[in-house]
Amino acid sequence: MVTIPHPTLPEFDYIRPKTLAEASYFLAEHGPEARAFSGGTDVFVRMRDGALPPKFLVDVKNLDGMRDLRFDPLSGLIIGAAVSMNAVISAPEVQAHYPLLAEACRSVASYQLRTRATIAGNICNASPAGDSIGACLALDASLCIHGTAGARRETLAGFFLGPGKTRLQPGDIVTAVCLPPPPPGCAGVYLKLGRNRLSDLSIVGLAALGSPNSDCPSGYRFRIVLASVAPVPLVAGRAEAYLAEHPATPDAFRQAAQLAYEECAPIDDVRSSARYRKLMVRNLTESALSQVWQALHP
Amino acid sequence: MPHKSTKEKLSPVGESMPRIDAREKVTGAAQYADDIQFGNRLLHARIVRSPHPHARIIHVDASKALALPGVKAVVTGKDFPGYIGLYLKDRHIFCRDRVRYVGDPVAGVAAVTDEIAERAARLIEVEYELLEPVLDPEYGASHGAPLLHPDLEQYTVASFIMPKPRTNISNHFKIRKGDVTSAWKECKAVIERRYHIPHIQHVPIEPHVAIARVEQTGEITLWDSSQSPFAQRDLIAETLGISQSEMRVIAPLVGGGFGSKAGVSMESLAVAIATKVKGYAVKLLLTREEEFYTAFVRQGLVAYFKLGCDADGHLLAMENTFYWDGGAYTEYGVNITRAAGYSCTGPYEVPNIHTDSYCVYTNHPVGGPMRGFGMPELHAGLEQCIDELAEQIGMDAVEFRRRNCLKGGSSLPTGGKMHPTGLTECLEKTAEAIGWGHKSPPSAPNKRRGKGLALMWKAPAMPGNAGSSAWIELAEDGKLTLGVGCQDIGQGAFTVAAQMAAAAFGIPYESVRLATPVDTRYSPYEWQTVASRITWSTGNAIIQAAHDARDQVLDLISQAWGENREDLDIVNGTVISYKSEREMPVKDFAVKGLPKPDGKGWIGGPIIGRGNFMPTDVTGLDPETGQGDHAVVHFTTGAQAFDLEVDLDTGRVEILKAVASFDVGKAINPDLTRAQMEGGLIQGISSALFERLQLKDGRVANPSFVDYRIATAADLPRSMQSIIVEVPQDDGPWGARGIGEHSMVPTIPAIANAIYDAIGIRFDGPPFTAEKIYLAMLEAGIVHGPA
Amino acid sequence: MAMHTINLTVNGSRESLVVPSNMTLMRMLRETLALTGTKNGCSAGECGACTVLFNGEPVNSCMVLAVECDEAEIVTVEGLAHDQQLDPLQDAIIQAGGVQCGFCTPGILISARALLNRNPNPSEEEIKEALVGNLCRCTGYVRIIKSIQEAARMAAAAS
Repeated sequence: MVTIPHPTLPEFDYIRPKTLAEASYFLAEHGPEARAFSGGTDVFVRMRDGALPPKFLVDVKNLDGMRDLRFDPLSGLIIGAAVSMNAVISAPEVQAHYPLLAEACRSVASYQLRTRATIAGNICNASPAGDSIGACLALDASLCIHGTAGARRETLAGFFLGPGKTRLQPGDIVTAVCLPPPPPGCAGVYLKLGRNRLSDLSIVGLAALGSPNSDCPSGYRFRIVLASVAPVPLVAGRAEAYLAEHPATPDAFRQAAQLAYEECAPIDDVRSSARYRKLMVRNLTESALSQVWQALHP
Repeated sequence: MPHKSTKEKLSPVGESMPRIDAREKVTGAAQYADDIQFGNRLLHARIVRSPHPHARIIHVDASKALALPGVKAVVTGKDFPGYIGLYLKDRHIFCRDRVRYVGDPVAGVAAVTDEIAERAARLIEVEYELLEPVLDPEYGASHGAPLLHPDLEQYTVASFIMPKPRTNISNHFKIRKGDVTSAWKECKAVIERRYHIPHIQHVPIEPHVAIARVEQTGEITLWDSSQSPFAQRDLIAETLGISQSEMRVIAPLVGGGFGSKAGVSMESLAVAIATKVKGYAVKLLLTREEEFYTAFVRQGLVAYFKLGCDADGHLLAMENTFYWDGGAYTEYGVNITRAAGYSCTGPYEVPNIHTDSYCVYTNHPVGGPMRGFGMPELHAGLEQCIDELAEQIGMDAVEFRRRNCLKGGSSLPTGGKMHPTGLTECLEKTAEAIGWGHKSPPSAPNKRRGKGLALMWKAPAMPGNAGSSAWIELAEDGKLTLGVGCQDIGQGAFTVAAQMAAAAFGIPYESVRLATPVDTRYSPYEWQTVASRITWSTGNAIIQAAHDARDQVLDLISQAWGENREDLDIVNGTVISYKSEREMPVKDFAVKGLPKPDGKGWIGGPIIGRGNFMPTDVTGLDPETGQGDHAVVHFTTGAQAFDLEVDLDTGRVEILKAVASFDVGKAINPDLTRAQMEGGLIQGISSALFERLQLKDGRVANPSFVDYRIATAADLPRSMQSIIVEVPQDDGPWGARGIGEHSMVPTIPAIANAIYDAIGIRFDGPPFTAEKIYLAMLEAGIVHGPA
Repeated sequence: MAMHTINLTVNGSRESLVVPSNMTLMRMLRETLALTGTKNGCSAGECGACTVLFNGEPVNSCMVLAVECDEAEIVTVEGLAHDQQLDPLQDAIIQAGGVQCGFCTPGILISARALLNRNPNPSEEEIKEALVGNLCRCTGYVRIIKSIQEAARMAAAAS
């Protein structure tokens, strides 16, 4: 069918709750008719497309803690759900300890969109193409969630169920993305292939992180997370396991890239064929691993 | 500012004056059609569009929409029986009995808000009976394809368009020159190729918008973003059965056109709806998505080339067949077919030619004019064939072009001779600037590097009698107001018009104002702002108007001073006598005249100059042979070259250097000329690397900026060079000819030739996406598949 | 649909407005305040023609609700010049020939102003990166980039 977007936003009521509890209660009460938003960069687009017809938009960005960004060497980084990607990119704590996250955020759309876009929003929308998600998964992120039963924490791994589908329950509001302290001595890279050089959605996005790790027989642990090549952001587990076992050499990287190629499951769409995506997973994985390796051994 | 010495005659022509409209544009004061405020008598329109590529309309039920509070009118094709179209009247304003593309307008709604109009449009129920669609122009041209316009032979058509009744071919243009069959035998090398050029979209950043109001008296006012206010007045009035003088079009600044806002398209919908709600202004603003699939698209093309040359590399023959995917209505596209036909050889002298150019109805979006008017599509394949032929006989591609390219006096495909042209100079300067013949190493081991070049030519494609006019009026302060009917669509027409008026009259550039917005009630007639014809055609009218005003001034002064006209001149806004050395600023008499020399009464009066221009020597062509004396007014020629790299890991192309040279006759404003060369080059690069309307079963699968990517600031070549060549046009103002469209004509083949030089692979058409290149390299064994 | 009263500053002027929930900042500027310098190119956050400063940072005003602007400070292209004195970026883009049809120009100027505010001496690559959200179909961007470099140079020379 042809999508016929509205010329402007369809009608809805804007709700600004005063407390998290009030927000959770409202969202739970109205179920699919209500939708939480912070930057709105995805929600508004989908409403205009007619894909999302909420009666109520609940503005959660001014609630307690939503705009905090705090780093602690022991507990790590807490990014309030309403902290914009630009604020994350320019935060000295992020640049010092999580440059991979800054790099991934910087690849998203345009500067003016990132004034509003948030990492939590990227996660809640659960697009397989979400560029910031891969970095969060590679960095072992968890989510602070406020629901009708109060606050809780969930790991990001396992959070995604399918395109646009997550474990969030009615009434749940993601309040923060939490990253543990980065692995000591780590280095990461975010590679993104779009149709034009910057600002496009990913044909393939790839977050790679490497760190010395004595638990791994190879002495290094690598994390490889792929965007746009599966129904959900994909951790290339077989490639990661291979590199935990085998010493890091150009051959091992090529082998790991081959495994990533095999384990991804992209589709054909208007942006790319599945075949090209798979080949690019292979090439980008190999290239990312050698870049990470070089950064680990400057 | 101290007055310049009147003795020092300064002409702004040839100077890079700042844009006349720049200050209003950078402050947000510039008014575009959607910026006009209409207050509470404004209604918002939305259009119900066909979801099917081809279907019969069985029934339209608007009862639910009409019942919605706030809805003021619903209209359908039943209300408007007339046909509309520029060269071939093959469209109704709203579909009446059948729909022919996804997006074809079936009904229109006017309501008090956007939201209500949108809701009402979604409540209109249309019952369709699906018909077999035609989704390929070659199939469409074949016998047995479903007929999309069974009434083709009854349509009103321009004399130079040749529809074939009871087929889907709405124009068949032929060239039969010399004897190709014998010529092939003389050839040392012959190649045959097929290219497919996809549909693309213009993508002005300002979407189409039209606001129409019909008075109780029946008089119509249309405000819109338009390249063609006069053509719209003419065509819409005719279709609605009113006289042209009852139709007024007011066209403020245009936020980018590139052809898509030429002729008539969505404007007639707004007018039609407005006729049902008299006294209200009705606004129709296309969404960006509608812009992609309902505004004119650049037609797709399937092109077959066969060309051959002798051992010395002289082209002996060409046999070309073009199937243009004209879409559902070809009212404008038929002439693109013709333009490609008479330009079929590219800028080369070829003695034996056999060409068929077919405009074919399909159930695709409506084809229309786009920057280049068929030339980028035609050159895309042809200029690759030239490279291939040169390679086959072992000749350098630049040398091959030097031997064959048109020079002044060369024989043209339609007969007649080429006028003086700087094409060879463009070729040589471009080759030199790109470092032709020098192989440069790639910047990294995973890159391959190559260079490519292409030539081009293009004539203004228009009826032989497309006219321009201008007037000039002097105000009390001695400043000059220039009335023109052309549009500034970004190219700088108003600036160049002011420069020409200033130079021709004898006044500083800063003393010229434009009478804008263009308003068909007050502005002088202009056929359309298309075809890169404005500098040349309107320029000639402006010179005449300026000279008319100037003659009035000099007559007056010669009478007042008792001097010979020949001794007088207007320099920097002051009349001077070279004989008596008297001087008088124009403002001293511009409106109120002067006392008679004897003091008894007055002479002179308000000064208004008028001028017009229409080419008079364009002849028709023989319908069977395409031969005639003077097919078009002139050709602008030029060249582009690229130095680029292909990334072996991704297939991505990165352009290191781009060079463009065009013979503009005379650059009235060199900076604006170079700006056209740069902007067109980037648009060309965008069409070469990224752009394609992805048509699946007649539907555009990527109707948004998310998935129809155009070049951004990050996609530029690392360096660019623009070279102006000036071989004057004998009938051009100061020798000028157009440059607006030409700058994207040779881009696709020049890039294709460079890609071939880098990786040894050719493609059957653009865009040369990273994916397409990578998969081809895989096929060719340049890169490796999975282990 | 609920209406909301908001108080905000637009180009230095205090405004008190009543806006519906679904009104975007872009529509509020263009329709309610008749500040039409901010352009509507796609209504989907892609083209950047509607870019304005929201509390000093550039946003796509089609992607912000008017009701979210309570107590915000908005600057549009109309707010760049003061007392007929153009912003150096406006002068520079005229001089460099970076204006053609002019429809993308307001958004480009706002993005460029925001860039120079946060980074007075940007590299060419930083300028390109700051402009990828502003589509221009006429100029090919070359002269726009030059004009931003020139404005930065002028500002550095003046300070």
